[in-house]
Amino acid sequence: MAEAWFEKRERGSPWGLRVARVLALRLGRRTTRILLWPITAYFFWTLPEGRAGLRCYYEALDGRRPTRARVFRHYLTFARTILDRVYLLAQHHDAPPYEIRGFEAVASYLDQGQGVILLGAHLGSFEAARAAAFSHPALKIQVIMHTGVSRQLNETLTVLHPEARDSIVPLGGPASLLRVREFLAHGGLVGLMGDRTITGEATYPADFLGPTAHFPLGPLRLAAVLRAPVFFFTALYRASADGACRYELVFEFLCGPAPDAKARDEWMRQLGARYAQTLGAFCRVAPDNWFNFYDFWQVPDNDPSRPGAGRDPDYGGGPRGQSSMDGADATEGHSAHGES
Amino acid sequence: MNSRQTDFEREIAQLLVSSLNLALDADSIDPETPLFREGLGLDSIDMLEIALAISQHYGIQLRSDDPDNAVIFASLRSLAAAIGARRT
Repeated sequence: MAEAWFEKRERGSPWGLRVARVLALRLGRRTTRILLWPITAYFFWTLPEGRAGLRCYYEALDGRRPTRARVFRHYLTFARTILDRVYLLAQHHDAPPYEIRGFEAVASYLDQGQGVILLGAHLGSFEAARAAAFSHPALKIQVIMHTGVSRQLNETLTVLHPEARDSIVPLGGPASLLRVREFLAHGGLVGLMGDRTITGEATYPADFLGPTAHFPLGPLRLAAVLRAPVFFFTALYRASADGACRYELVFEFLCGPAPDAKARDEWMRQLGARYAQTLGAFCRVAPDNWFNFYDFWQVPDNDPSRPGAGRDPDYGGGPRGQSSMDGADATEGHSAHGES
Repeated sequence: MNSRQTDFEREIAQLLVSSLNLALDADSIDPETPLFREGLGLDSIDMLEIALAISQHYGIQLRSDDPDNAVIFASLRSLAAAIGARRT
């Protein structure tokens, strides 16, 4: 199933994660990164579905099957970005450096008191940006997310920096979206993910690295209702040949604030197409930053027979499935290993 | 149980239809039908849209920390009652 990430249990126990956190800080980044090789090898061998998912990705990207080594390095990059979250959140001296590109355009909105929506993806490390905000207050992002997913990992990490918890808006009912709206009205930055779908959720098709993929409609609808400008955002992990690495926080304009309800479908169509195109472009820049370890191009089995208000079935909503914005109620106790 | 719309409920129903761009006749919305999920099939993003439209039209701020939110947004009737009570 395409949505398997959502139902999957998070790998690793809370105890193991806690030990990992303490070890990572005691041993330092250089040593812990060496330990990542056997750990990655373990997950590489025990998670064949993840390998299959990455093969789909590389086939779309390069038009040919990736080598086993390439897929392994991809797993390793994922492990490294998770490890870096420890140092970034703890504001440890081993935390890798980051640079920021394209923020001027975002800042010009914020300076006028206009909040901005950052439409991200499971590409790179959104976490690097949250951590960057500790020393760069203008970068403070409220992230809307399913807290049921990767809850273990997030709880282990928020111990390092309790303030990080405050910057997550959990999905779950109407109140959380009103909170997002209030935050935007005060000129805040709101981040949401636009790539993963959950079972039964309404989607839109878009060209992504060539073939057509199905993206969740909820984030676009939410952006439309919030009437704030939308930027693509990613924090790419970039390593150079000498082993040094850094994070590149990239902001790229996608669309201005949504128009009235009547012209909104067209606006969402544009936003969806631009988002998929921009996401694809950054996949080509940093291929191993793609952290959706499943067949992303699989057609989701959303149920079109749900009762609805009979609007444009593609964009207006109408008979649509459950929205990913409706909360994580169903996900209590389940988590994905692929959360970045 | 009365499932006919009052004048004020009709006014709110029209606001729902126009702000959400629903392909529905405002008169046909049963005031007792749940707005969300199995009822009219609206979701929390629609709810946000409704909250914004209400604050624009009636100057009522529906707040995220209101403990009555679940009750307020249960049906057209409860929504109209909540707006009426706050409008005064």
